[in-house]
Amino acid sequence: MKTKSSIIPRAWKNAAGYIIVGGWSAFSLFFVIWVVLASLKSTRNLFGNPWSVPLNPAFGNYVKTWFVSRFGEYFLNSLLVVSLSVLALLVVSAPAAYVLSRGKFRGREAISNFIVFGMGVPIPLLFVPLVVLVSALHLVDTLTGLGVIYVSLSVPFTVYVLQGFFSSLPSELESAAVIDGCSDWQIFWHVMLPLARPGLATVAILNFVGLWNEYQLSLVLINSPEKRTLSLGIYSLITSMKYTGGDWPGLFAGVTIVMIPTIILFVFLSERMISGITMGGVK
Amino acid sequence: MVIAFLAPALTLYLGFLVLPAIQAFYLGFFESSGFGNKARWVGFENYERLLSDGLFWLSVRNMLLILVVGGAAVFGFAFLFTILINSGLWGKKLFRALIFMPNVIATIAITTFWSFAFMPRYGLLTSILKTIGLTSLAGVAWTAPENVIWSMMVGLVWISTGFFTILILAGADKIPTDMFEAARLEGAGNRQIFRLITLPMIWDVILITLVLWVIQAIKIFEFPYAFGGPNIDQNLYTPAIYLYIMGFGQRDPIYQLGYAAAIGVAMFIFTVIAVFLLRALSPRERVEF
Repeated sequence: MKTKSSIIPRAWKNAAGYIIVGGWSAFSLFFVIWVVLASLKSTRNLFGNPWSVPLNPAFGNYVKTWFVSRFGEYFLNSLLVVSLSVLALLVVSAPAAYVLSRGKFRGREAISNFIVFGMGVPIPLLFVPLVVLVSALHLVDTLTGLGVIYVSLSVPFTVYVLQGFFSSLPSELESAAVIDGCSDWQIFWHVMLPLARPGLATVAILNFVGLWNEYQLSLVLINSPEKRTLSLGIYSLITSMKYTGGDWPGLFAGVTIVMIPTIILFVFLSERMISGITMGGVK
Repeated sequence: MVIAFLAPALTLYLGFLVLPAIQAFYLGFFESSGFGNKARWVGFENYERLLSDGLFWLSVRNMLLILVVGGAAVFGFAFLFTILINSGLWGKKLFRALIFMPNVIATIAITTFWSFAFMPRYGLLTSILKTIGLTSLAGVAWTAPENVIWSMMVGLVWISTGFFTILILAGADKIPTDMFEAARLEGAGNRQIFRLITLPMIWDVILITLVLWVIQAIKIFEFPYAFGGPNIDQNLYTPAIYLYIMGFGQRDPIYQLGYAAAIGVAMFIFTVIAVFLLRALSPRERVEF
């Protein structure tokens, strides 16, 4: 039975919960807002009044970052290599995940585990061998080479998550299709793949965000300035600032350019992204 | 049909992940001064050198600090948020999304903000401390060699907490709600419910998240490397950063490919050992529900 004395501390506890959880959450918003505001200030204003709201927004920072610091090119490079990689990744991974979850053949589980094992391989272990391999294929310092690596290293996670989606589909539809005389390929293409569309969308978004944000592989595989991806472009800008003096607002304009697309995706698709990750991690 | 469906994925996986991983082990037995140069077989020399390389052990120490201290903070916050969010707060989905949000932002964007925050003299932190009158703290050099790893850790813990909170929350959400209701009727408090119901029921989830954290921490490269910027402080070196610097150089290229590969192999071995230890230490019996 609840008495008055037990209700009051509970309300207090809730208040503490709101303050802690709410404060932490608010900081995420503060981060985004502060970076965007910083990108619209003059260097002097940024250092002098880091907390102020710029009343005369310096949109020139964006013009300079986009054209002079070549972020326009970097943006297109990122968009191109990441979109095509995600597309190729789905084409390659969906059939594999399908047979690994629904097929009946010897060694299915072994192959499945073998692919999952790939998620545990530390990517830096591959830095040197990948450069050797990509050079041998004459793909070093090309976006094609980077894309091939993006796809290959994303296969384990993608197959793993898609397998989960395929296993959750009802088997009655499959049996009905077999009775109707569908070939294996027809069952996959006309029956199972459409049903797995939410899963495909989820892995597409997660991989898009992951590859859009990565820079260790592009750092290792890309040398030419005109082939940089956005994240690598920011790293290079930081490196050059060390010698030319700090155009921090321009840098924050670059940071805003790299983070806006994924934040927009997140605003519309956060539930799907979070459920995809928790499904992959905590099945 | 099975083969046709599997072949493309398996080919890429074998060719660009498994094969290079094996090749790293092979390269670790060579000394090579650059891509395209002739490599010389040196047996276990690279590994002997690793054992006595102070910089390598510094990088291992930093990695362990991230793994243990950073991990304790990340999981501490993640559990705290799980308890608080599940104690009946309104707006659960909104809080969960906002706590997770830094994880969709590029690492390099996050570290740029934190570099500015910890910048000596003009940084955000210094400006806050001055405003609230803590002038003695405002003078601290947050990026000085003895402090820099902790400054880096703040941002790292911030984003990682978001990631692990949603995983642990998802684990807690799988527990049937009638168990909580029954416990509440019996008069159990939030803390008791967490310790006696939530924790035992999500042991397997905790184990998986711990394995994920260990794997992530051992291979960590992007966050500390970007935070350190050009001419990165040695106190921020992790094995992966040391590997990169040995293999690809920074301002003065040093190309030591065989040695870099050996560091990668060491990281792989750390990962295997850590995962096996975690599995061995975890309780065998699982609560089924």
